[in-house]
Amino acid sequence: MAGAAAKERRVIRVLLVEDEEIHRVRARALLRDAAGGVELGEAGNGAEAVRRVREGGAYDLILTDRQMPVMDGHEATRQIRALGVTTPIVGLSSDSLAADADAFIKAGADDFTPKPLSKEKLNRILAKFNLA
Amino acid sequence: MDYSNLRRQIISMKKSLFDQGYLDEQFNQLEELQDDSSPNFVEEVVALFFKDSSRLLTNIERALEKYPQDFYRLDSLAHQFKGSGSSIGALRMKNECSMFKAHCSDRNLEGCRRSLQKMKREHATLKQKLETYFQLLRQVGPRERAVNSWK
Repeated sequence: MAGAAAKERRVIRVLLVEDEEIHRVRARALLRDAAGGVELGEAGNGAEAVRRVREGGAYDLILTDRQMPVMDGHEATRQIRALGVTTPIVGLSSDSLAADADAFIKAGADDFTPKPLSKEKLNRILAKFNLA
Repeated sequence: MDYSNLRRQIISMKKSLFDQGYLDEQFNQLEELQDDSSPNFVEEVVALFFKDSSRLLTNIERALEKYPQDFYRLDSLAHQFKGSGSSIGALRMKNECSMFKAHCSDRNLEGCRRSLQKMKREHATLKQKLETYFQLLRQVGPRERAVNSWK
Protein backbone atom coordinates (compact mmCIF):
# COMPACT_ATOMS: atom_id res chain seq x y z
CA MET A 1 0.00 0.00 0.00
CA ALA A 2 1.61 3.27 -1.12
CA GLY A 3 2.17 5.93 1.48
CA ALA A 4 1.78 5.80 5.23
CA ALA A 5 -1.66 5.06 6.61
CA ALA A 6 -3.31 8.08 8.18
CA LYS A 7 -2.83 8.03 11.93
CA GLU A 8 -6.17 7.45 13.54
CA ARG A 9 -6.87 10.00 16.23
CA ARG A 10 -8.73 8.51 19.14
CA VAL A 11 -11.03 10.02 21.70
CA ILE A 12 -9.12 10.67 24.90
CA ARG A 13 -10.47 10.88 28.44
CA VAL A 14 -9.27 13.89 30.36
CA LEU A 15 -9.90 14.82 33.98
CA LEU A 16 -9.71 18.55 34.58
CA VAL A 17 -9.21 19.44 38.24
CA GLU A 18 -9.94 23.14 38.64
CA ASP A 19 -12.05 25.12 41.09
CA GLU A 20 -12.45 28.33 39.11
CA GLU A 21 -15.12 28.52 36.44
CA ILE A 22 -13.19 30.90 34.20
CA HIS A 23 -10.34 28.41 33.83
CA ARG A 24 -12.75 25.52 33.28
CA VAL A 25 -14.55 27.44 30.52
CA ARG A 26 -11.29 28.19 28.77
CA ALA A 27 -10.00 24.63 29.14
CA ARG A 28 -13.27 23.17 27.84
CA ALA A 29 -13.00 25.29 24.69
CA LEU A 30 -9.38 24.27 24.18
CA LEU A 31 -10.03 20.59 24.73
CA ARG A 32 -13.12 20.58 22.51
CA ASP A 33 -11.09 20.12 19.34
CA ALA A 34 -8.10 18.27 20.76
CA ALA A 35 -6.89 14.85 19.62
CA GLY A 36 -9.70 12.82 18.04
CA GLY A 37 -12.12 14.28 20.56
CA VAL A 38 -12.15 14.54 24.33
CA GLU A 39 -14.38 12.98 26.95
CA LEU A 40 -13.96 15.55 29.65
CA GLY A 41 -14.47 14.90 33.33
CA GLU A 42 -14.25 17.76 35.81
CA ALA A 43 -13.49 17.95 39.50
CA GLY A 44 -13.81 21.15 41.52
CA ASN A 45 -11.00 20.31 43.90
CA GLY A 46 -8.34 17.73 44.61
CA ALA A 47 -10.48 15.62 46.91
CA GLU A 48 -13.13 15.22 44.24
CA ALA A 49 -10.45 14.24 41.73
CA VAL A 50 -9.07 11.55 44.04
CA ARG A 51 -12.60 10.24 44.64
CA ARG A 52 -13.31 10.02 40.89
CA VAL A 53 -10.08 8.14 40.27
CA ARG A 54 -10.60 5.86 43.29
CA GLU A 55 -14.12 5.04 42.08
CA GLY A 56 -12.71 3.67 38.86
CA GLY A 57 -12.49 6.70 36.62
CA ALA A 58 -10.02 5.77 33.90
CA TYR A 59 -8.35 8.76 32.32
CA ASP A 60 -5.69 9.22 29.68
CA LEU A 61 -4.62 12.55 31.17
CA ILE A 62 -5.20 14.51 34.37
CA LEU A 63 -4.76 18.28 34.35
CA THR A 64 -4.75 19.73 37.83
CA ASP A 65 -4.58 23.20 39.23
CA ARG A 66 -2.42 23.81 42.29
CA GLN A 67 -4.41 26.10 44.53
CA MET A 68 -7.88 24.75 45.28
CA PRO A 69 -10.10 24.53 48.34
CA VAL A 70 -10.45 21.27 50.33
CA MET A 71 -7.40 19.65 48.73
CA ASP A 72 -4.75 21.24 46.53
CA GLY A 73 -3.21 19.84 43.38
CA HIS A 74 0.00 18.67 45.05
CA GLU A 75 -1.85 16.56 47.62
CA ALA A 76 -4.28 15.24 45.02
CA THR A 77 -1.34 14.14 42.89
CA ARG A 78 0.26 12.37 45.84
CA GLN A 79 -2.95 10.56 46.69
CA ILE A 80 -3.66 9.54 43.09
CA ARG A 81 -0.17 8.11 42.82
CA ALA A 82 -0.63 6.30 46.13
CA LEU A 83 -3.58 4.50 44.50
CA GLY A 84 -1.13 3.06 41.98
CA VAL A 85 -2.51 5.14 39.11
CA THR A 86 0.06 5.85 36.41
CA THR A 87 -2.05 8.20 34.24
CA PRO A 88 -0.01 11.22 33.15
CA ILE A 89 -0.66 14.12 35.52
CA VAL A 90 0.16 17.69 34.51
CA GLY A 91 0.18 20.40 37.15
CA LEU A 92 -1.10 23.90 36.36
CA SER A 93 -0.54 27.11 38.25
CA SER A 94 -0.84 30.84 37.70
CA ASP A 95 2.65 31.23 39.15
CA SER A 96 5.42 29.90 36.99
CA LEU A 97 7.80 29.48 39.88
CA ALA A 98 10.33 26.70 39.79
CA ALA A 99 9.20 25.80 43.30
CA ASP A 100 5.67 25.16 42.03
CA ALA A 101 6.87 22.90 39.25
CA ASP A 102 9.28 21.08 41.59
CA ALA A 103 6.56 20.49 44.16
CA PHE A 104 4.29 18.96 41.54
CA ILE A 105 7.03 16.70 40.20
CA LYS A 106 7.98 15.62 43.74
CA ALA A 107 4.32 14.80 44.38
CA GLY A 108 4.37 12.51 41.37
CA ALA A 109 3.21 14.67 38.46
CA ASP A 110 4.79 14.09 35.06
CA ASP A 111 4.88 17.68 33.91
CA PHE A 112 3.94 21.22 34.82
CA THR A 113 2.73 24.16 32.78
CA PRO A 114 1.93 27.70 33.86
CA LYS A 115 -1.64 28.93 33.34
CA PRO A 116 -3.38 29.99 31.26
CA LEU A 117 -3.57 26.83 29.20
CA SER A 118 -3.14 27.55 25.49
CA LYS A 119 -3.36 25.59 22.25
CA GLU A 120 0.42 25.40 22.06
CA LYS A 121 0.80 24.18 25.65
CA LEU A 122 -1.99 21.64 25.21
CA ASN A 123 -0.53 20.34 21.93
CA ARG A 124 2.86 19.96 23.59
CA ILE A 125 1.32 18.00 26.47
CA LEU A 126 -0.72 15.76 24.16
CA ALA A 127 2.32 15.06 21.98
CA LYS A 128 4.50 14.34 25.01
CA PHE A 129 2.11 11.64 26.23
CA ASN A 130 1.25 10.30 22.76
CA LEU A 131 -2.33 11.51 22.97
CA ALA A 132 -2.35 13.79 19.91
CA MET B 1 -24.48 50.85 8.58
CA ASP B 2 -20.90 51.78 7.71
CA TYR B 3 -19.25 48.46 8.49
CA SER B 4 -15.86 49.41 7.13
CA ASN B 5 -15.69 52.38 9.49
CA LEU B 6 -16.81 50.22 12.40
CA ARG B 7 -14.21 47.61 11.52
CA ARG B 8 -11.53 50.29 11.48
CA GLN B 9 -12.65 51.50 14.90
CA ILE B 10 -12.59 47.96 16.27
CA ILE B 11 -9.14 47.22 14.89
CA SER B 12 -7.83 50.56 16.13
CA MET B 13 -9.32 50.05 19.56
CA LYS B 14 -7.92 46.56 19.89
CA LYS B 15 -4.48 47.73 18.76
CA SER B 16 -4.60 50.48 21.34
CA LEU B 17 -5.50 48.02 24.11
CA PHE B 18 -2.45 45.98 23.19
CA ASP B 19 -0.11 48.93 22.63
CA GLN B 20 -1.01 50.45 26.00
CA GLY B 21 -0.39 47.14 27.72
CA TYR B 22 -3.96 46.48 28.85
CA LEU B 23 -4.09 43.20 26.94
CA ASP B 24 -1.60 40.56 25.83
CA GLU B 25 -1.51 37.60 23.47
CA GLN B 26 -3.83 35.55 25.70
CA PHE B 27 -6.71 37.76 24.56
CA ASN B 28 -5.98 36.78 20.95
CA GLN B 29 -5.92 33.13 22.00
CA LEU B 30 -9.31 33.60 23.61
CA GLU B 31 -10.68 35.10 20.39
CA GLU B 32 -9.33 32.11 18.46
CA LEU B 33 -11.50 29.84 20.60
CA GLN B 34 -14.65 31.69 19.52
CA ASP B 35 -16.56 30.11 16.66
CA ASP B 36 -20.05 29.70 15.26
CA SER B 37 -20.99 27.27 18.02
CA SER B 38 -19.98 29.80 20.68
CA PRO B 39 -20.26 33.21 18.99
CA ASN B 40 -20.15 35.19 22.26
CA PHE B 41 -17.43 33.14 23.91
CA VAL B 42 -14.97 35.97 24.46
CA GLU B 43 -17.53 38.34 25.90
CA GLU B 44 -18.83 35.59 28.19
CA VAL B 45 -15.36 34.76 29.49
CA VAL B 46 -14.57 38.43 30.01
CA ALA B 47 -17.87 38.83 31.89
CA LEU B 48 -16.84 35.91 34.11
CA PHE B 49 -13.54 37.64 34.79
CA PHE B 50 -15.21 40.87 35.86
CA LYS B 51 -17.67 39.00 38.07
CA ASP B 52 -14.82 37.07 39.76
CA SER B 53 -12.51 40.02 40.00
CA SER B 54 -15.08 42.37 41.53
CA ARG B 55 -15.67 39.81 44.25
CA LEU B 56 -11.94 39.32 44.76
CA LEU B 57 -11.29 43.05 45.04
CA THR B 58 -13.96 43.30 47.72
CA ASN B 59 -12.50 40.32 49.58
CA ILE B 60 -8.97 41.74 49.37
CA GLU B 61 -10.19 45.09 50.69
CA ARG B 62 -11.95 43.43 53.62
CA ALA B 63 -8.94 41.25 54.37
CA LEU B 64 -6.68 44.31 54.43
CA GLU B 65 -8.92 45.98 56.99
CA LYS B 66 -8.67 43.08 59.41
CA TYR B 67 -6.08 43.07 62.14
CA PRO B 68 -3.75 41.33 62.27
CA GLN B 69 -3.54 40.98 58.51
CA ASP B 70 -3.47 37.49 57.12
CA PHE B 71 -0.86 37.89 54.40
CA TYR B 72 -1.22 34.25 53.43
CA ARG B 73 -4.91 34.78 52.66
CA LEU B 74 -4.18 38.07 50.90
CA ASP B 75 -1.59 36.34 48.72
CA SER B 76 -4.06 33.56 47.96
CA LEU B 77 -6.72 36.08 46.87
CA ALA B 78 -4.22 37.93 44.70
CA HIS B 79 -3.12 34.62 43.22
CA GLN B 80 -6.69 33.86 42.16
CA PHE B 81 -7.04 37.34 40.72
CA LYS B 82 -3.80 37.01 38.80
CA GLY B 83 -4.83 33.68 37.35
CA SER B 84 -8.23 34.94 36.35
CA GLY B 85 -6.73 38.03 34.73
CA SER B 86 -4.13 36.08 32.82
CA SER B 87 -6.84 33.89 31.33
CA ILE B 88 -8.23 36.87 29.42
CA GLY B 89 -4.86 38.48 28.76
CA ALA B 90 -5.36 41.32 31.24
CA LEU B 91 -1.67 42.17 31.36
CA ARG B 92 -1.67 45.26 33.54
CA MET B 93 -3.97 43.56 36.04
CA LYS B 94 -1.72 40.52 36.11
CA ASN B 95 1.37 42.67 36.72
CA GLU B 96 -0.28 44.61 39.51
CA CYS B 97 -1.35 41.35 41.16
CA SER B 98 2.28 40.23 41.05
CA MET B 99 3.26 43.49 42.77
CA PHE B 100 0.57 42.91 45.41
CA LYS B 101 1.84 39.37 46.01
CA ALA B 102 5.38 40.69 46.38
CA HIS B 103 4.14 43.12 49.06
CA CYS B 104 2.38 40.21 50.80
CA SER B 105 5.60 38.27 50.77
CA ASP B 106 7.35 41.25 52.40
CA ARG B 107 4.42 41.69 54.82
CA ASN B 108 4.30 45.27 53.58
CA LEU B 109 0.82 46.50 54.49
CA GLU B 110 1.24 49.96 53.00
CA GLY B 111 2.55 48.45 49.80
CA CYS B 112 -0.50 46.17 49.65
CA ARG B 113 -2.85 49.10 50.19
CA ARG B 114 -1.20 51.16 47.43
CA SER B 115 -1.21 48.20 45.11
CA LEU B 116 -4.90 47.54 45.80
CA GLN B 117 -5.74 51.10 44.78
CA LYS B 118 -3.86 50.60 41.51
CA MET B 119 -5.63 47.29 40.95
CA LYS B 120 -9.00 48.97 41.42
CA ARG B 121 -8.11 51.73 38.96
CA GLU B 122 -6.78 49.31 36.36
CA HIS B 123 -9.84 47.12 36.83
CA ALA B 124 -12.26 50.00 36.26
CA THR B 125 -10.35 51.25 33.22
CA LEU B 126 -10.10 47.82 31.62
CA LYS B 127 -13.80 47.17 32.24
CA GLN B 128 -14.78 50.41 30.58
CA LYS B 129 -12.51 49.86 27.58
CA LEU B 130 -13.65 46.28 27.02
CA GLU B 131 -17.31 47.26 27.35
CA THR B 132 -16.77 49.79 24.58
CA TYR B 133 -14.91 47.20 22.50
CA PHE B 134 -17.71 44.64 22.81
CA GLN B 135 -20.34 47.28 22.09
CA LEU B 136 -18.60 47.98 18.81
CA LEU B 137 -18.35 44.26 18.04
CA ARG B 138 -22.06 43.81 18.71
CA GLN B 139 -22.82 46.53 16.20
CA VAL B 140 -21.18 44.60 13.41
CA GLY B 141 -23.16 41.48 14.34
CA PRO B 142 -22.11 37.82 14.43
CA ARG B 143 -21.78 37.39 10.67
CA GLU B 144 -19.17 40.10 10.39
CA ARG B 145 -17.52 39.14 13.65
CA ALA B 146 -15.12 36.62 12.11
CA VAL B 147 -12.33 36.43 14.65
CA ASN B 148 -9.43 36.64 12.29
CA SER B 149 -10.70 39.85 10.75
CA TRP B 150 -9.74 41.74 13.86
CA LYS B 151 -6.12 40.69 14.02
